[in-house]
Formats: sequence, structure tokens, C-alpha cells
Amino acid sequence: MNKLILCFAFGLIFFNAGAQNRFFTKDAKINFNSSTSVEDIVAESNQATTLIDIDKNEVAFSVLTTSFKFRRALMEEHFNENYMESPKFPKAKFSGKIISTIDWKSEKPVIADVKGQLTMHGVTKEVTLKAQITPGKSKIVASAELKVTPEDFNISIPSAVRDKIAKEVTIKIDATYAPYQQ
Amino acid sequence: MIGLIAAFAAIYYAFNMPRRNLSKEKALYTLEAKQLISEFKKDEAIATKKYLDKAIAVKGEIKSIRTLDNHSMVFSLEDEMEGVSCTVDSAEVVSNSLKLAQFSKGSIGSFKGRCSGMLMDIQVINCVPE
Repeated sequence: MNKLILCFAFGLIFFNAGAQNRFFTKDAKINFNSSTSVEDIVAESNQATTLIDIDKNEVAFSVLTTSFKFRRALMEEHFNENYMESPKFPKAKFSGKIISTIDWKSEKPVIADVKGQLTMHGVTKEVTLKAQITPGKSKIVASAELKVTPEDFNISIPSAVRDKIAKEVTIKIDATYAPYQQ
Repeated sequence: MIGLIAAFAAIYYAFNMPRRNLSKEKALYTLEAKQLISEFKKDEAIATKKYLDKAIAVKGEIKSIRTLDNHSMVFSLEDEMEGVSCTVDSAEVVSNSLKLAQFSKGSIGSFKGRCSGMLMDIQVINCVPE
């Protein structure tokens, strides 16, 4: 009888531990900023979807390019129609691994290296970035920054406006993850 | 002289181009959220081609309501994770506050917006409640 209870208890613990290995949010923020002497162009999406698997140290993001909001509607239209070609490539995705070792039980913020594949405008490139991750039992807070060159993703910017857009665009990501209820 | 006025008009328009206003547009498709979900599940590529960027009117049971940091509201229909998420921008939240106050979890919500594609859920943005 005691053995049975022990087995059951272990089973429960194992089940609970497994249940908390994936964290998720549908409201991650992705902000991108192109800063030149001519103009600052900023756009933000509040609806990126992202998942972290703390057992496999894997992280994935996806966002619809039409969810980026610009201050001016015309900029938003240019972004979607001419640069990102959103009707052809509606999604941007990242899928990668957290290379640094993280103590997921610690609750202290750490800086971690993340490496993976970024797909934008139909082009996939390997990228490395640094993320600040604060683990926790009931939530994980993460923020990261990376710089991308539009031309690397076949995004062609007409020479007439090339000076208005930065050579490298800074992408900032902020996400607060909750346990993934499946 | 006319050239100058035309130039000013063009620049003014460029800076103040109005955003697409879904409350004035007629929905190309009117359907149940359940139907939209099943079309996307069956073939995401075909459904994306059919609905992407089109004005659609969608109706379904509200499973969750959340307010984002930028004050827009997201209503998830039929399924919280893999249903239809209708985003009402902050400006429309304000002008439709009376109608939106009637929407609650469990009630049927009806929205007109434009389909922006599928992540885990199907996203309809620039929504106005109907």
C-alpha cells in the first residue's frame, strides 16, 4: 500500500514538474526603431506570440507584420505594401535556442546568449542576440535587442529614401511569459 | 501656383493619410468564427490567400477579453488560444465604449475588421463591434 502511495506521489510531482516546462504569451511587444539624422521611424506590435521551453532551452516567436503600428498611416502602408510585402509574407518568425545555462529556479535576472533562425520577408538568416531573462515559478520576464540590415532580408529600399532609413534597424523585444495551459 | 498648392496638398495627405476605417467599409465575408477557424485549420495557405487584408464580419462566443498596454482590446472568440482574436484599437475602444461594455465572457460578440493572418489564433485587426 505504501509503495502505491509513493508511486502515486512521484507520479504527481513528475506531472506537475512537466506541466511547468513551457511558458507562453500572445502579447509580447516587438518594437523596431530606425534612427537617422533625417527622421526617427518607430513601429510597435503588441501581439507577438512566443513560447519558451525551459527543459529544452528553446524559444520561438511569431508575429504578423500587419500588427506593427506606425505613427503615420502612410508609413504603415509603405512598410506593408512596399518593404515587407505583407500580403506575400504575412508572418515573421524566430526559432532558436538559449545557449547560456540558466538556473530556471533562481528568479534572478541573467544575461543569456540566444542563437537561432530569423525569417522575415521570406528570407531566413541565422542570428545571435543577447537577452535578459528573469525566471520565476509563475512567470518569466525576458527582453532582447538585435540589429538587422533590411538588405539582408531582400528588403529593397529605393535609393531616393534610403537615407531616411537607418542602415541597421534596432529591434527590441519584451515579453512576460505565463505557464502554457494546454 | 497650382503646382505649389498641389504639392502642399500631397505633403499634407502624406502626413495625415487617414487610416483604413472599417466602420465605413462593407464586409466582403460575413461568417461564424467557427467557420473561419475550420477553413484555416483545413488549409492555412488557401485561407490566408482568401481572407488576408479583406474586410470580414465575424461572430462567435467570447472566451476571453484582454486589454493591451496600448489600450486596445482583444476579444478571443470560440477558443482562447486557437480561436479568432479580434483587436479593437484604442481609438475605437473609446468611440464604441457603450457597445463594448455589453460584451462579456460567454456572450456572443460580433466584429467587423480586417483579417491579418494566423499565428496560433486567427487575427482580425482594426475591428469595430457590430
